[in-house]
Amino acid sequence: MPSDDEKEKLVSPGLSLNLASLWLLLFLIWLVINSSFAVPIVMIGALISFGLALVFVRRSAVWHDVGLTPRAAYHFLAYTGVFFIELVKANINMLRYVYAPRIDIRPGIVKVNLRLRSPVGRLALANSIALTPGSLVMDISDDALFIHWLDVKTTDPETAREIIAEPFEKHLGEIFG
Amino acid sequence: MSELIGSLFVLAGAFFLFSAGLGLLRMPDAYTRIQAGTKASTLGNILVLVGLGVYHPDWAFKLLVVAYFVLMTNPLSSHALSRAAHAIGTPMAPSTFTDALKDRDDEGKARPS
Repeated sequence: MPSDDEKEKLVSPGLSLNLASLWLLLFLIWLVINSSFAVPIVMIGALISFGLALVFVRRSAVWHDVGLTPRAAYHFLAYTGVFFIELVKANINMLRYVYAPRIDIRPGIVKVNLRLRSPVGRLALANSIALTPGSLVMDISDDALFIHWLDVKTTDPETAREIIAEPFEKHLGEIFG
Repeated sequence: MSELIGSLFVLAGAFFLFSAGLGLLRMPDAYTRIQAGTKASTLGNILVLVGLGVYHPDWAFKLLVVAYFVLMTNPLSSHALSRAAHAIGTPMAPSTFTDALKDRDDEGKARPS
């Protein structure tokens, strides 16, 4: 539940912008899934997506961190590119392990320092890490991620951050702060 | 022509999905199996969806939504599974090298709160 302080913050100029962007996003998804522009379908979609957007924007502060600037858009594109390159690299790595005659790995759980503050940014980072070379997020605490690593290279939290999180953190930090 | 390209994408995706299955069988413990399953099946799924998109260009947007759905939920499920496995103390492979999460939990138990 949001405290009184947060409630004050929710009624800010940013609220309507956040509401509009979330509404637009949900409405677009509705149109894509229906693939139809018949009047009743569009109207129902507009109503439902507006209701959902209203509930989510008022109930959670998560959407307040997302900045809608050209800079954020650029970094989002760059992040998507980095992400797909890492995804393909991860899969080639995984194929090497899977088809090797003898699976020769040194798995372990290591602690990784975390720089991002916003919840959505952390979620995106954790999801990206789960899909990149040999790492899987196990748990999250205030300032650290616990990552199961298929082939442990270091147990130092800072070095591990540079190896695992650095490529994503740069862009996600620009988008979500 | 588009049929051939679409089929190649689906074939590549099927290959990755097969590798994911093989990884599930060959990896030594629960956590490494989850890893093998997550990564290879994500790329495999996306390649199959791309192949379908080449076959049926009018499905492209729906397939894109499905691809985003897979991308967002696949890591979440693997995270939930591995976390639950660790919480109930599923044994790790003998070659396991370090376990910072267990160290932290032990620390929490030792210190009266």
